[in-house]
Amino acid sequence: MTEEKKPEERKKRRTATEAAGRVGSMTKAMLANVPQAKGEGRPIAYSFICCCYDEIIRAMDITPHWVENYAGICGAKRDAQRFLERAEAENLSRSLCTYALCGLGFDAWREELGGEMPPDAPWGGQVKPDVMLGSGQMLCDPRNKWFQAAQHYMPDVPTYDLNLPWPPYEEDYDYREVQDDYVKYMVAQLRGLVEFLERHTNRKMDWDRLSELVDLTDRTWNLVHEAYELRRAVPTPMGTGDAMNTMVPLSFMMGTQQGYDFFKELYDELQQKIARKEGVIPDEKYRLLWGGGLPSWFALTDFNYFNSKGAVFPAETTYRMVEALYNFDIDFARITDPLEHIAWRWLKFWTCRYDKTRQRPGSHPDVERLIDYIEDYQIDGVVMHEAFSCRSWHVGLIWQLNLLKKIYRDIPSLVLESDIIDISSYNEADTRARIDAFIDTLEAVKSRAG
Amino acid sequence: MKVEAGGMALVDKYCQDYGSRARELKGQGRKIIGGLCAYVPVEIITAAGFVPFRIKGSVSEPITRADVEMETIVCPLVRSCFDLAVKGRYEFLDGLVIPHACDSICRTYDVWKYTLGLPYSHFINMPHSDNDTSLEFYKTVLNTFRKSLGKFAGREISDDSLLQAIKQHNENRARVRQLAGLRRSDPPLISGEELARALIAIMSIPVEESISLLGDVIAEVKPRASATGVEKPRIMVVGAQLDDDTFIRLIEDSGAWVVADDLCPGTREFWPDADITADPIDGLAERYLQKIKCARTYREQKGTYPEYLEERFGHIGGFIRDFAVDGVILYIYKYCDPFGFEVPAVKSYIESLGTPVLYLEDEYSKSTIGRLRTRVQAFLELLGAK
Repeated sequence: MTEEKKPEERKKRRTATEAAGRVGSMTKAMLANVPQAKGEGRPIAYSFICCCYDEIIRAMDITPHWVENYAGICGAKRDAQRFLERAEAENLSRSLCTYALCGLGFDAWREELGGEMPPDAPWGGQVKPDVMLGSGQMLCDPRNKWFQAAQHYMPDVPTYDLNLPWPPYEEDYDYREVQDDYVKYMVAQLRGLVEFLERHTNRKMDWDRLSELVDLTDRTWNLVHEAYELRRAVPTPMGTGDAMNTMVPLSFMMGTQQGYDFFKELYDELQQKIARKEGVIPDEKYRLLWGGGLPSWFALTDFNYFNSKGAVFPAETTYRMVEALYNFDIDFARITDPLEHIAWRWLKFWTCRYDKTRQRPGSHPDVERLIDYIEDYQIDGVVMHEAFSCRSWHVGLIWQLNLLKKIYRDIPSLVLESDIIDISSYNEADTRARIDAFIDTLEAVKSRAG
Repeated sequence: MKVEAGGMALVDKYCQDYGSRARELKGQGRKIIGGLCAYVPVEIITAAGFVPFRIKGSVSEPITRADVEMETIVCPLVRSCFDLAVKGRYEFLDGLVIPHACDSICRTYDVWKYTLGLPYSHFINMPHSDNDTSLEFYKTVLNTFRKSLGKFAGREISDDSLLQAIKQHNENRARVRQLAGLRRSDPPLISGEELARALIAIMSIPVEESISLLGDVIAEVKPRASATGVEKPRIMVVGAQLDDDTFIRLIEDSGAWVVADDLCPGTREFWPDADITADPIDGLAERYLQKIKCARTYREQKGTYPEYLEERFGHIGGFIRDFAVDGVILYIYKYCDPFGFEVPAVKSYIESLGTPVLYLEDEYSKSTIGRLRTRVQAFLELLGAK
């Protein structure tokens, strides 16, 4: 019986920064806030990260329960399997997004128990929400199917599907020709979300508050950018292992003072480390780019294993869903509607490398981003992770690597294979053998270069 | 083109050598625009003077080249299509159009585009939701495609040519509906396998030839006497894209008729027409975004949950009633997020109608046929016992 299965013992991971070390307790407190809010009668929204509605739900005093975060926690605690198996018993294929399977398995189980949490639910479990805020965009099918599927177990919980497309990169037209249509559509979608929330939660939008939070988010984006840029230093003061912790305030606390303050503290800490020439490891030999893919949450100690071989990750594309707004070709000050502001910020994030891409024949914005990081962070090799259950973030990685080598230079690369939370896909010995071989390659390349 | 051979004979020819007609037309100077999925607005391609061609995979051919550029976690159908393309099976293509259908299609657009390096490529950024603001946006997306393709054609795509193409494709769909409707009788006048082959064949030829070919097939099939004999269970197959007849044949060889479907190619894409509207883009947008009921499109919930299920799956219930379906097979590909997440809801919806359901997950490969046969036979026995 799945109920009888005990999670495997979890290994404690060492962080390089004190800020990252604080994230565990922050996450725990964030999760504990959800049942508390529910008890106080405040509406709860099942939510996804990077969906542009952070400020909206905060301004309406709606408490988000970040479902991907909760699945990740189950994975990190090596306690996702019983929820995955529960979903599988519901005829949901194990090949689907395992975040979603974990969440759906949990919901099915909780509803079967009449609303009681499944036994020993990690960190208190996830409460039944009042609304579910899905997202259909060019990013992820499960985000517009997950909550629809969850209604099978919670038919009384309404869902909203927020579309947030951005113009694709094409050679035969400039995205500026169509950007107004995209923004107009996104604003309509965001306005629809506000109406949906007002209808289903009895909360009114506080538009002044929304504008304040939009401004706070802008400042947080800039601050995150500046903090992460400090990681260019040699030795780098912070690696991707820590960034997989700091993604919590980045992705789940955007639009909050707590999130802003966290990155201010991180910024200060990184500056101090740089002043002391204190790196992630004392003897930094290889600087690597985490070039794509979500991490295996149950195996974050692999980053420490890289460290033990002299390798650090000064940069990653994963979860770095911010850019410095002052570098965008738009004057945000002229935009008075906060929803329009959010839409333009989103569009400019996705299109900010389009012009640069046109300068390099045969290039692509995703590959230009890799090249930017390789050059800015003095990268020796690229590591990616292909999670079998997620097509959204893990399809196109091989092609990106191939194109990178074709239009830029032949740089050592490694593609790890496993999953985000399904530990049955993971083989530690095999993974570490591949890392060892990759380190050998890096060493050989360095030796050849003299 | 006047079809000289018998309709079904020509269908067999086109199925056996898929793309042969497109290759001939290419030799005659026509431009061929390939596409994945039913969401490619073929009317716009036809209106531009090009031949829309649906790229298909092969369940018989091992995937040997695709993995160099494309992850194995992609939908096996898309991987197979890409594998054939990089092997040069579709060397006659002048262009490629990929819609924002699902992650496996959307996320591989650049892989297709950069690997094949065709003279033309375009991504149709179709929204996921069917509400009115999405519809308005989708019209701008279709106009961007219209403009882009017109640039490639060297001439603007006029309203008149678009209206003409819409009428042609509507006529084509009417023929398909007529042919598929011949499955209503018991036993059906056309087998599921024959229909599947006809629908596969017409994916590879211009619409005017498809209309003619379907006319010939209908003329060939309609006079068939409605034979009497052993009663067989009447099966409906529900799934994503099934561009191969192997699975349908397996079901019928196991002692059943496949009389209805919610598939592509199949009723999903051939039942809804595009309305003739003052601005032809309006009718097209409504057809593709709101009328085609595919799991990839999020239907806005307007009523209670049971009403919502009816909105999403009611058409399946309609087919079950109209075609006197005894049992439904949910045939879902591994790694298919849009259809995979719907399984519990659609299964319970169909079962609530009193119709038994068999759910199968498959990998778009003949290697699984033995396992599938066992499951299908057991299901048919269960139906026979009722």
